[in-house]
Amino acid sequence: MKMFRTAMLTAALGAVCVAAVAQDKKPAPPEPTIKVGETAPDFKLTDQNGKDVRLSDFRGKKNVALAFYVFAFTGG
Amino acid sequence: MKSFQSQLAKLEAADTQVLGVSMDSPFSNKAWADSIGVTFPLLSDWGGDTTRKYGLYNSTYKAARRATFLIGKDGKVLEVHLDKQAVDPHNVVEACERHKLGK
Repeated sequence: MKMFRTAMLTAALGAVCVAAVAQDKKPAPPEPTIKVGETAPDFKLTDQNGKDVRLSDFRGKKNVALAFYVFAFTGG
Repeated sequence: MKSFQSQLAKLEAADTQVLGVSMDSPFSNKAWADSIGVTFPLLSDWGGDTTRKYGLYNSTYKAARRATFLIGKDGKVLEVHLDKQAVDPHNVVEACERHKLGK
């Protein structure tokens, strides 16, 4: 009887684990809405020194590598 | 962003301005730029309007997805790099070469 109970308990625990793993699936990451060949939307944002920067400031002057990062103080 | 700083001379030679963007405050960006020695602008998209405009708002993390857009002088997008590809700045240097920027 004791062995039966242990087996049942193990099976139940296993089922709970499987359910937990299945629920842990992350939602799909966002897909960029701006595609190659499209005009990059303009913006006005403040830099680390308090200066406003517009994307359009560089129009006709420089190419821009616009690098979105997740958080300050993290890698990458 | 530190890795972009290491490629800055090559990107400047390709006539390309680096702009970092995140949903951090300007104060966090200032502290971070100082601590890692970043000299290019780190822009604060506080509230995430620009991040959303580019389709990069990740509601799970309440932050942007890692992405780099290479934009030509005409304002048109030349290349889009995502995630790991966006983390390595050599990819954007190579993209500048592919599009013969600064040549």
